[in-house]
Amino acid sequence: MFIWVASLQPDVANYEGITLLFSGAVPLAATAMAEMFVISIGDIDVGIGYFVGLTNAVVAQYMPNHPLGAWGLLVVLVGAYVGMGALIQLGRVPSIVATLGASFIWMGAGLVILPIPGGSAPGWLTRLFNSRPPFVPFPIVAIIVLVVVCGWLTSRYKYGVAIRAMGANAQAVGRNGWSLLRLRMTCFGLAGIFGVIAGFAVTAVADSGAPTSSADYTLLAVAAVILGGAEFSGGFAFPLGAAAGALAISQATSLLTFLNISSNYQGAVVGLILMVVLLGRVLTRSRNR
Amino acid sequence: MSARTLGHRTRKELLVAHPWVWSFIAIALEWAALTALVHRGMLGTFQAALTLAPYLVIVSIGQMFVITLGNGNVDLSIPYVMPMAAYIAAGVSGANGQHLWLGIIAGVLSGMAAGLVSAFGILVLSIPPIVCTLAVGLFAQTVAYVRAANFTGNVPNSLVTATLDKFLGIPLFTFACIAFSVLAGILLHRSPYGRAVQAIGQNIRAANLAGIRVPRIILLTYLLSGALAAVSGVMLAAFSGLSLDIGSTFLLTSIAAVVIGGSVVAGGRSNVPGVWGGALFLGLTVTLLEAAQASIAVQDIGEGVLIIAVLTVAGRATSVAKE
Repeated sequence: MFIWVASLQPDVANYEGITLLFSGAVPLAATAMAEMFVISIGDIDVGIGYFVGLTNAVVAQYMPNHPLGAWGLLVVLVGAYVGMGALIQLGRVPSIVATLGASFIWMGAGLVILPIPGGSAPGWLTRLFNSRPPFVPFPIVAIIVLVVVCGWLTSRYKYGVAIRAMGANAQAVGRNGWSLLRLRMTCFGLAGIFGVIAGFAVTAVADSGAPTSSADYTLLAVAAVILGGAEFSGGFAFPLGAAAGALAISQATSLLTFLNISSNYQGAVVGLILMVVLLGRVLTRSRNR
Repeated sequence: MSARTLGHRTRKELLVAHPWVWSFIAIALEWAALTALVHRGMLGTFQAALTLAPYLVIVSIGQMFVITLGNGNVDLSIPYVMPMAAYIAAGVSGANGQHLWLGIIAGVLSGMAAGLVSAFGILVLSIPPIVCTLAVGLFAQTVAYVRAANFTGNVPNSLVTATLDKFLGIPLFTFACIAFSVLAGILLHRSPYGRAVQAIGQNIRAANLAGIRVPRIILLTYLLSGALAAVSGVMLAAFSGLSLDIGSTFLLTSIAAVVIGGSVVAGGRSNVPGVWGGALFLGLTVTLLEAAQASIAVQDIGEGVLIIAVLTVAGRATSVAKE
């Protein structure tokens, strides 16, 4: 996808171009990581976009002037995600419904904090995003860090492995002495943390806060995770795949711009990519069988 | 399910058999709270709620049939199918509404086309319903954007006035929806089609072995959901004005209305009265928060908290009663 874009617009194939092109992908990649944890246990989070919007509002509105209060609020928000995991496990509320209800809360809270878009990114965040590491542009570094951290969490970290196992067979994990409640809370806590990271990334890219502008991330993140090879039934988590999915989706948008196609068609293109990739997967799978 | 004692059923069993009772209890509480808060009186509140609820009810009945299929079936294309159908209907109808019926038919057909593509992806390409209907939704969104880009017209006036005709202070459209709901209830509980939908939701393999033509039922259900979303989209555009985001809140609320109404989100067991209960509950919640002079942002928070609270209580009550 990147090569296609580069062939149309050779200017992007240098340090500056790559930085510009990929910086938009960082928030989506972080959101996709959050969604990946939730999908890996067989749940789905349909409110993550508004959650990212809320953290974006918190960071942009409070972080520059009241850093302590802002960090406190963010911790509370991650706590709310942990609580949501507990509610799903204890109240036997289906995750799609609980996160759907929660999305109203994130959206409302975001609008309470920032009724109209505004605020700005704190200085250190802007400096971080504008930093120029040698050879490799910052957005690429950020995405690689995300993938490495999530890869460690899902395949080395004790809880991460158990979470994945829970997606595959919750009963067996429970019988092995794991507390399903604690696992689901950990999983949603991780999702909350990466949602907050995505909120930081959105703030840095936009240099302002707009609680509702991240709403699309919910669907795009689900699409990225599925493109990345995960299954809805749970048990799979591929951080590299999810990041690649996020990159492919954000590149699709740039591609449309360079091809001079109206951005009205963005939805159809993302939908088409999804369908084609899944079709390809179905075909290869049936051949292997 | 607990064994039913002959002759008399306990209160708990009644609630299990009719889970929608919960939503109506919640409505009664909200209505009482509203009457205490606002001086508009009970009747005015009720009429307002009945004016707005039908649009959600129509969409939610389609969603309910899809959710009843179980096995992860859910229709996420609804919020985009609604504006698509509205723009197509308005465009085909012409500026003066000379082809109104043609427009409505075209809108509904576009919704059914979305349902057809969803069912094709799910059945033939084995794409999970969540992703497939999402992708179809993105296609529908594109169609809506493209149709809206060079379009300045509106829904024909004759249709706009049709949504305003009232009887006893309640729009005729609401009565039409009530009649339709009765039909939908009969379709769900008494017709071979409805029973097949429930059977698939309870156990798809057993349904298959019992000779139910599963793919055909799934196809019909997505066609129905697409058509109903289209009808609601066209009517809502007539009622509140044509715009690209007329459907945006309906994804959340259609699922919420179905589940608050006591239908099992995993499929297999659903009911139509609960959809009305859920839709009226959501509508009254908004009215209640407006009456309390909450800002739109606080209304959203309140709505979210209430949905989660009701579902937790109802979910626990049904699962406890089941054991």
